[in-house]
Amino acid sequence: MRNTLSLLAPFAMLAACNSPQFHSGDPLREQVVNVYSHRHYESDQQIFDAFTKKTGIHVNLVMADDDEILTRMQQEGANSPCDLLMTADAGRLGLAKVRDLLQPIRDSLLEAVIPAHLRDPDGNWFGLTMRARVFAYDKRTVDPSHLRTYADLTKPEWKGQVLVRTSEHVYNQSLLAAMIAHEGPDSALVWASGIVANLAREPKGSDTDQLLAIGEGIGSVAIVNSYYIGKLMKNTDPARDQARAVIGVAFPDLDGHGTHVNISGAGVARYAKHKAEAIALLEYLVSDSAQALFAEGNEEYPVRADVPIARELAAFGTLTPDTLNLQALATYNAEAVKLFDASGWH
Amino acid sequence: MRRRSSSSTPPVGIDGCVQRPATRNPFRRPRRLFTVISLLALALAAPLLVVLTAPLHARAPEWEHVREAILPDHFAGTLELLGGVIVIALVLAVPSAWLVATCDFPLRRMMRWALVMPLALPTYISAFTYAALLGPTGPVSNWLADHAGFRPDIVDMQGLWFVLALVLFPYIYLPARAAFASGMSGQLEAARMLGAPALSRFRRIALPLARPAIAGGALLVAMETLNDYGAVKYYGVRTLTTGIFRSWAGLYDLGSALRLSVVLVGLVALLLWIERRARRGARQETDQVPVARIRLSGWRAAAATGWCLLVFGSAAMLPIGSILDDVWETCDGTMHGDVPHALWNTSVVAGAAGLVTLVIAVLFTFRERYGRRSDPAIRLADLGYVIPGAVIAIGVMSLAGFIDRRQWLDTALIGSMGVLVYAFSVRFLAVGKQPLQGALRQQSTSLDEAARMLGASPWRSFRRVNLPLLGPALIAAAMLVAIDVIKELPLTLILRPFNFDTLSTKAYELARIEQLREASWPSLMIVICGLVPVLLLEQVLEKRTRTPGVR
Repeated sequence: MRNTLSLLAPFAMLAACNSPQFHSGDPLREQVVNVYSHRHYESDQQIFDAFTKKTGIHVNLVMADDDEILTRMQQEGANSPCDLLMTADAGRLGLAKVRDLLQPIRDSLLEAVIPAHLRDPDGNWFGLTMRARVFAYDKRTVDPSHLRTYADLTKPEWKGQVLVRTSEHVYNQSLLAAMIAHEGPDSALVWASGIVANLAREPKGSDTDQLLAIGEGIGSVAIVNSYYIGKLMKNTDPARDQARAVIGVAFPDLDGHGTHVNISGAGVARYAKHKAEAIALLEYLVSDSAQALFAEGNEEYPVRADVPIARELAAFGTLTPDTLNLQALATYNAEAVKLFDASGWH
Repeated sequence: MRRRSSSSTPPVGIDGCVQRPATRNPFRRPRRLFTVISLLALALAAPLLVVLTAPLHARAPEWEHVREAILPDHFAGTLELLGGVIVIALVLAVPSAWLVATCDFPLRRMMRWALVMPLALPTYISAFTYAALLGPTGPVSNWLADHAGFRPDIVDMQGLWFVLALVLFPYIYLPARAAFASGMSGQLEAARMLGAPALSRFRRIALPLARPAIAGGALLVAMETLNDYGAVKYYGVRTLTTGIFRSWAGLYDLGSALRLSVVLVGLVALLLWIERRARRGARQETDQVPVARIRLSGWRAAAATGWCLLVFGSAAMLPIGSILDDVWETCDGTMHGDVPHALWNTSVVAGAAGLVTLVIAVLFTFRERYGRRSDPAIRLADLGYVIPGAVIAIGVMSLAGFIDRRQWLDTALIGSMGVLVYAFSVRFLAVGKQPLQGALRQQSTSLDEAARMLGASPWRSFRRVNLPLLGPALIAAAMLVAIDVIKELPLTLILRPFNFDTLSTKAYELARIEQLREASWPSLMIVICGLVPVLLLEQVLEKRTRTPGVR
């Protein structure tokens, strides 16, 4: 019997692990807000800390990938401890709305400072920062006047010159989804196929890798996210000096609507137990100081027009964002993936 | 999965020959214990059942597209990747294992454990590190482009073969070395006396005899390759696992993603069948006599040392050195994030998961040894190892969510440590069982038969005879699970409680936003944490196969 009991010891240990000492904050305490986030940035922690200091509301955090988080919220149902969902893709916020994981919020402050196209018309989600899908080019060889629109990059003059990561990545998917929304699937497919025809190499690696490849002359134009350019410029690694020295940025236009942007945003969970605190955090996230930290700490474009963008990005020119309402990204994301499959963009 | 015959021996005829308590029939199978074990196996197999039955209960609106545009390419990519990785891993592992087990050469003692070190490296960290060094814009490529006029690029399918094989080959090296080191000494000795040259001793005796061990290791390599996501995505290679995420995250179609998981499991079932065939006809029980090592000299010794150094250097020194360099470069006195806290969390969760999985694995191997036929639930539970962690998480969350939504318990299961550890057991059961099964196979069944004849019940016979003999394998099992938990990412990410960081989530958060140099601190801690069980494992195995002397 003693031996049988000893078999249970690890399970007893497990029970012990569940004791509160393993949680640095008790999610059931009064003044808390529970956040599920896809944003993995150190600057976010600074913002949460400042929020706690100002309001006394403690921020509990689970960080994981978007799709897993949505699945977790669905499975938790009405029991979900999540109060605020933060993601780094408008498509997933739109999906969360469609799956009834968020609730509509009417808040005059949020509606006043966030441009209408960067939030859900019904108030289910709100954009906090923008990241633009731009062209980085090699200043040594490229005349940026040839890179005015996304479609310019499909011209024969760029054959063997284009660098981009795989279509697994959501920012490629949302760019194509925006094209479908504006121009329809046929011309979106023509664009994707045109890019495939001009590739310098098979799509692979990260956005930063595409920038480094420009530095080494492997290709001359890369489709990348703006904040990776900002991060590269801020980086001090001498191995990246070459890339830093030669990179220029063009803000391509999408069919007269501006440059494609995606957002990082948040919405109050359908079953939030701390709704007031969640709204307080949302409002704090669009405050001057939080927006400045998003801009400075993570090289994102603040949604507030009155907050300056990071120095590194400002040097490259002005962003004119596409004003497509971003709920459309959720609508067309799946179609975008199918078009990528049809175009051969892996 | 071995079928045993002793328990089906009719008790008639032996009665009277042995002394035993009159009230208990030792040949009766312990039904109650078997039922408990079957229930436990069902509990572990349940999340997989959720995944495998998905075609019946989950809508898959995009399945037509997935079947036509994603499945063929991604299936072909999977086969190409598997083939390349396994062949290269065999080339790295088998000669190294042979040299270390049967020969004596300079640095052999160090190489024994040094060649296990790559196990401590998570594949995604290793893949990023190799790409940073040897990728298209790495220092090596840049230098060659300037001086030799060409630019090598390992960030592709062929590069990934090497990268994954270099991290995963110890899964073959360990069992192959154990097989070479003991259990075939008689045959090898005889061949040597008859004048067979070393190469033909290796080819005609050692290799066929070690085939089951090598096949078992290759199976683990295949499983790890199949469920890898981070490295594969970064290298732009298409596999079933990237297809699963493409369907789930891109097409917003979880149902199709789960169907692809079923295809993945089907492929693994095929591999399991091949492995079983490879083992068929092989001798199971061995004499456990350690082989006498042959001292190499001259160019042979130099070649042996050189080969091992080459493998060790490229598989362990290169990535670890590169991580150390990054730590040095970014070392400004501050660690990014709360590394000590993450270290503590990692140790607790790895320890708990290691022990829980060990206990379960012991019970299951007992069932397999003493049961008349194998338990299908246990066989199913073994498959947890091949399914990508994120997909297992779906199964676990579906079950835990089912209970949570009905509020049967006063605390929520999702986001609790208990469910996290349970999920690790689901995922890594096969890792824990593998060494136990291997060691049990080497114990002659005459041992259990003797114990049973003397009146011991199956459980008593297992506990008093088989279990003590398993000693080192028990530790090996717990250690292997702990190593995997330390490196594990997707399950931890999604099932963790609030504010709960481990080393791998820390490293991932930095690597994800392409801050690879800043991710070096937690990466280094993962390697160090992983090395502790790796080295302990080596100590244990060393004791088991200590050789009597060298000629």
